[in-house]
Amino acid sequence: MPALDNFFLIALPYLAVVICLVGSYYRIKTRPMTYSALSSQFLESKGLMWGSLPWHIGIITIIAAHFIAFLVPGLWQALLSNQTVLLFVEAAGLGLSLLCLFGLAALLLRRFTSEKVQSVTSQMDLVVLLVLLLQVALGAHIAVSLSWGALWSVGTTVPYLWSLLSFTPDLSMVQDLPLAVKAHIVLAWVLILLVPFSRLIHMFAVPLEYIGRPWQNVVWVSDRRKEAAPQAFVEGEARRYFVKGGLAAVFGLSLLSVGVFDKIFRFFFGPRLTAHQETELMTTRLSRLEATSSQRKLELERQENDYILVGSLAELNSERGKYFIDYTMMPALAFKTAEGLPLLISAKCTHLGCTVGADAVDGKILCPCHISYFSIDTGMPNADSPAKTPLPHLGWVLMDTRGNQLVSYSGKGAVKGTLSEAQRASARVYIAKAHQIG
Amino acid sequence: MTRDNSSTSKTANTLSFIADRFPLEKMNLEHMLAHKEVPVHKMSWGYYTGGMTMFFFMIQIITGLFLLFYYQPTVSDANLSVEYITKYVSVGGLIRNMHAWSASGMILFAVVHLITAFAMKSFEKPRELTWIMGVLLLIITFTFGFTGYLLPWNQIAVNATKVGLQSVEDIGQYLPGMLHEVPRILRETFQGEASVGQSTLGRFYALHVVLLPLALAGLLGIHLLQVQVHGMSQGVDEKPKKQERFFPVFLFKDLTLWGFLFFILFTLSLCIPFESFLPFPLLAPYDAMGATPPGIKPEWYFFFVYYPLELLPFWVILLASGLIGAVLILTPWIFKGSSRKTLTFIATAVSLYLLIMTLFGEQIYHLLKH
Repeated sequence: MPALDNFFLIALPYLAVVICLVGSYYRIKTRPMTYSALSSQFLESKGLMWGSLPWHIGIITIIAAHFIAFLVPGLWQALLSNQTVLLFVEAAGLGLSLLCLFGLAALLLRRFTSEKVQSVTSQMDLVVLLVLLLQVALGAHIAVSLSWGALWSVGTTVPYLWSLLSFTPDLSMVQDLPLAVKAHIVLAWVLILLVPFSRLIHMFAVPLEYIGRPWQNVVWVSDRRKEAAPQAFVEGEARRYFVKGGLAAVFGLSLLSVGVFDKIFRFFFGPRLTAHQETELMTTRLSRLEATSSQRKLELERQENDYILVGSLAELNSERGKYFIDYTMMPALAFKTAEGLPLLISAKCTHLGCTVGADAVDGKILCPCHISYFSIDTGMPNADSPAKTPLPHLGWVLMDTRGNQLVSYSGKGAVKGTLSEAQRASARVYIAKAHQIG
Repeated sequence: MTRDNSSTSKTANTLSFIADRFPLEKMNLEHMLAHKEVPVHKMSWGYYTGGMTMFFFMIQIITGLFLLFYYQPTVSDANLSVEYITKYVSVGGLIRNMHAWSASGMILFAVVHLITAFAMKSFEKPRELTWIMGVLLLIITFTFGFTGYLLPWNQIAVNATKVGLQSVEDIGQYLPGMLHEVPRILRETFQGEASVGQSTLGRFYALHVVLLPLALAGLLGIHLLQVQVHGMSQGVDEKPKKQERFFPVFLFKDLTLWGFLFFILFTLSLCIPFESFLPFPLLAPYDAMGATPPGIKPEWYFFFVYYPLELLPFWVILLASGLIGAVLILTPWIFKGSSRKTLTFIATAVSLYLLIMTLFGEQIYHLLKH
């Protein structure tokens, strides 16, 4: 039906805008007293609050979003290319339209039920209310059934509007849209047409200066009301705090919802790792488990055996100690003395129990926690070290490969036995349970 | 007069003491919320410090519950699970970082709260119990820090815990007779095995996520109830001329402040990883067989006792901490007659000490040691 399309989508828009502009100008000039919302707040205020507030909050935001999409489609599209933003905008749009519907329903109910308000209600008021209801319902319907409208409108209705604005009407982008969308567009033009003939004209009389001007407080001067004035003042202040705080909270929460909620959801959902990451993680986990299990094995070994191998005598030296775990599961170090015998010393710092380093510089090892130097020969700490007691020497046993004891030292007293040069090469150092207990 | 008589009067005294601290007739919303007023004067900012501490505690609870979903308290998995949270879980790094930063915030403001409450003489009758609950809450808060530090199971965590536990045991040598063994038994109880290991981790974990939160929540309940029942303390010597309503005026100011705190905390956690103050070897997973890397130290909030511990003989510290602990608990009676001027002077001196030791402790230590 190209003729119908031409009428509703090209002729009607131009007609509506011209009538709206000329009519409004005429009405404001000739009948300035009617250039307002004709508020009935004094007649009935409770129902008005439940209707008017949700309606205006919702509709102003929605219309602003429509305008942004129309004015800066490029920016709008770039913003919405982020999936989270798109989801947020769509959800917010639907939510706001439901808010509008709620407000309109409350307003309609008020028009129908309040006796006082009915007395000032004109036919046009009811028409406007019903058209608005239909228009918002259509919008909500489109948001649900033809989702992502915030995005597809950029390629359809926005070029159509720009073509109208540049006086080169082009219907190619909109003529195949579903009927609901077309109806939504047509009703929008109808509403613009109705502006000069209804209270809709109040949209040109928005008291924008209220936002910037300092707030005013009504203080009664009659004696009867004077006492209540300071209280009213305090309550007014508290209420302003509440409103400001509430606005900040709403703003903060909406920011949060864009940036954080989906991430928090994914926190609980858990990460989805790539196969490579999974393997890497499993490898680390396994190696940590193995380290723990080897620790447990060491413990078991110490419980079951009378002798524990520290290493071969040949691998020990006097500069760098070899760590091993003694019978109490504490770290210890194995060095070799100048005589070529083992020197086993506890590596648990006598200050606060850190593990002492393995490198002996000038015959001294260092506890890095609080800088204590210990002589490996005597175990004594330096005079200025925080550690005051010496590191104890541990007993040891030298055995040949067949398990025959060659030399032993109990940790105190003298070394028992002697070592021949031939035995030296193959001798192994053990710690003995007997020494530990003694 | 007989003994009977004096014992009945003692019972009566105890009863009236309790009745004064928990006046049943004031325990209603009307009194605690609607009629409560907060004095307005130059020290009024002190009234916000407790709320800020509580804000950080709430953050700790929330982020802690988040971390609980992934953390595994075993020696083989603890460090890896923490790494997993930071590296792979969505916003895991942020949540963990918030937990760390907010822990610091909680301790900082708990201490500030204690000092301001002291300077404002907020422990006067009938608020003695509020004060004592506060001191206990502070101790629990520090214990939170100590137990939580071990959980990531990295080099600095395990070694610092070893040092901490060893210090506890060292107290024993200065105690007489029967008490001599108590610190060792305590340490073994908390450690659970010969060296800091799986049993220690399990115990610290249980303390950190169950016992301490329950204890803190319980004590905090009493603390807050007392605050609401008795109202804000006067805080200054002259009766303040102006008051503001607690609800909604003060409460909303409180909430506004919390909003700012959250913003700061969030930004900090987003931008600066708490661990960035430590070199990597300290953050490597704990290695039971290897040497301890250099630079082991506790969290900053233990510096005030840690560096003196390094510099002075142990018994001096022990004596001093014992004294300070006793003074803290007995403050409401010791400083009963002190003027706020004196209290402010003491509070300033203490704050100066804490500030200097926390900020420059390490430098002072190196200066005196070398």
